[in-house]
Amino acid sequence: MTIVQALLIALFVAAIESRALGYATLTMRFSPLMAGFWVGLILGDMHQAMVVTATIQLIYMGVVAPGGAMPSEPAVASAIAVSVAILGDLDPEAAVAIAVPVGLMGSYLYQLRFFLNTIAVNKMDQCAVKADSRGLVFWIAVMPTIFAFALFVPTITIALYLGAPVISDVMNAISNGPVLHALDVVSGGLAALGIAITMHVIGSRKLLVFFFLAYFLVVLTTRAGLSITMITWAIFGVIIAFCYNMFTTKAEA
Amino acid sequence: MSEVEKLSQDYHDYLDEDGMIHADPRLMLGEANKPDEITKGDIMKVWFRWWWCNEVPHTFDRMIAPSLCFGLMPVLKKLYKNPVFLGEAYQRHLQFFNTQAVWGGGIISGITVSLEEERAKALNAGEPALDASMIQNTKIGLMGPLAGVGDSIDSGTVQYICISLFLGLCQEGNPLGAVMPFVCFATATFIYGYLFTRMGYTMGRRAALEVMKGGRIKSIIDALGVLGLFMMGCMAASYVKLSTPIEADLSGRPFVLQETLDGILPGLLPLIAVMALFFFFQKKGMKVTQAMLGFTVILIVLAVVGIL
Repeated sequence: MTIVQALLIALFVAAIESRALGYATLTMRFSPLMAGFWVGLILGDMHQAMVVTATIQLIYMGVVAPGGAMPSEPAVASAIAVSVAILGDLDPEAAVAIAVPVGLMGSYLYQLRFFLNTIAVNKMDQCAVKADSRGLVFWIAVMPTIFAFALFVPTITIALYLGAPVISDVMNAISNGPVLHALDVVSGGLAALGIAITMHVIGSRKLLVFFFLAYFLVVLTTRAGLSITMITWAIFGVIIAFCYNMFTTKAEA
Repeated sequence: MSEVEKLSQDYHDYLDEDGMIHADPRLMLGEANKPDEITKGDIMKVWFRWWWCNEVPHTFDRMIAPSLCFGLMPVLKKLYKNPVFLGEAYQRHLQFFNTQAVWGGGIISGITVSLEEERAKALNAGEPALDASMIQNTKIGLMGPLAGVGDSIDSGTVQYICISLFLGLCQEGNPLGAVMPFVCFATATFIYGYLFTRMGYTMGRRAALEVMKGGRIKSIIDALGVLGLFMMGCMAASYVKLSTPIEADLSGRPFVLQETLDGILPGLLPLIAVMALFFFFQKKGMKVTQAMLGFTVILIVLAVVGIL
């Protein structure tokens, strides 16, 4: 593979992972199809690329069990897997196995993107208060896209050009240390932040009991192995809000 | 000089301790501030901008709020000609927001447009207007449930129908097998998402009029707050993932701290995290960056020393 080919594939993957192509990137990111198509186009072997991509799609849909870990970030993993399968003449299952560490790296890069975007959020706040619409557009739409390209283009190019094993070595070196564990903990914990902010915005300490009610209901039912959907909980939420409204307005009258 | 003309046009004079604008409603009076009519084209613009920017500025602390703000921008500019009010509206829609793009995003952005329109018109006419917190609480109450619906239908079903239809072509080596699922899914979701946005707009207008007529705004804000906090409880329980790996061997008997904690009160650690942050914001005001940096450092330290 030439460096130009590697770069072109990396640019496509970065465009998907930056989500700068809109909600259309949903199928592009979570299915190997479009990444496989692009690799076929760049490497000039569409037929083989499609055959391999179809098998990878079946693996992802659970039709074909690969027997190992499923690579996260299907778009990233399949860009690597399809290339490896075409150039190295590997069968798709083996190619997917090679792509696992690169997919894992992709999912960590995707989270890293969230942190970089926080820089942009600060700037957005500064623009918002001044009603600076131009600045707002720049920090909401342009900068996060640039961040994503800066993260994904070099790494995917390296993975393709020097070979996926290079990434695999790096990931192995890191995963034995505390770095990936710390990243997992941080991403598991940071969800608390947005929730706490929303609670603060709603702002009523008096109503906090309803937060606790829902929290323990969901924790307990989940532990009991019941899978109750968000919609069901929302119906309960609406009923409780209704009751609250009914009782309080009556008391006032 | 009338009293209204003496009002400050500088946003600095309306900031609270959280740095949020609370503009004087009288700033919206007058012919110059008259909101423009919202057209079908505006609704399309809102939907398209939200759809396009959906997960671009994703972060942990705001999730995809900036995308919604980006979507609403053209409408907000038409409704709030006064820069202090425009700034206030921008700030409002940069607050934490997370939902699914088509079902949640479509319906909620439509409703939000209609609520903002009612608010701006009433302010301009000097009538009692929809409270800003009501717009916030509506978004917060709806975002969770609609995300649930949308994820299971779009990502779970529609996507796989599109893929299955053309997988045969793909297996034969035909590139259409890869391109068609993408085209079909993107087109279908774009179209029904737009219809949802339109629907949300019509529904929101009707609901807003109903609410204003009844004059029961305070109790409705409270009820929406109840729903919002209830949904936050559900989200905290589902999305915040913290547990401790601490284990010890007490004279042959294995001791797993997480099991002991679960025995006392299940879900204790995530709850501590949320409540600690909540009280931080209540005490110190909305210092989001400070909270995020501090919290991240604490998590990293606890993870490295092996407590989390």
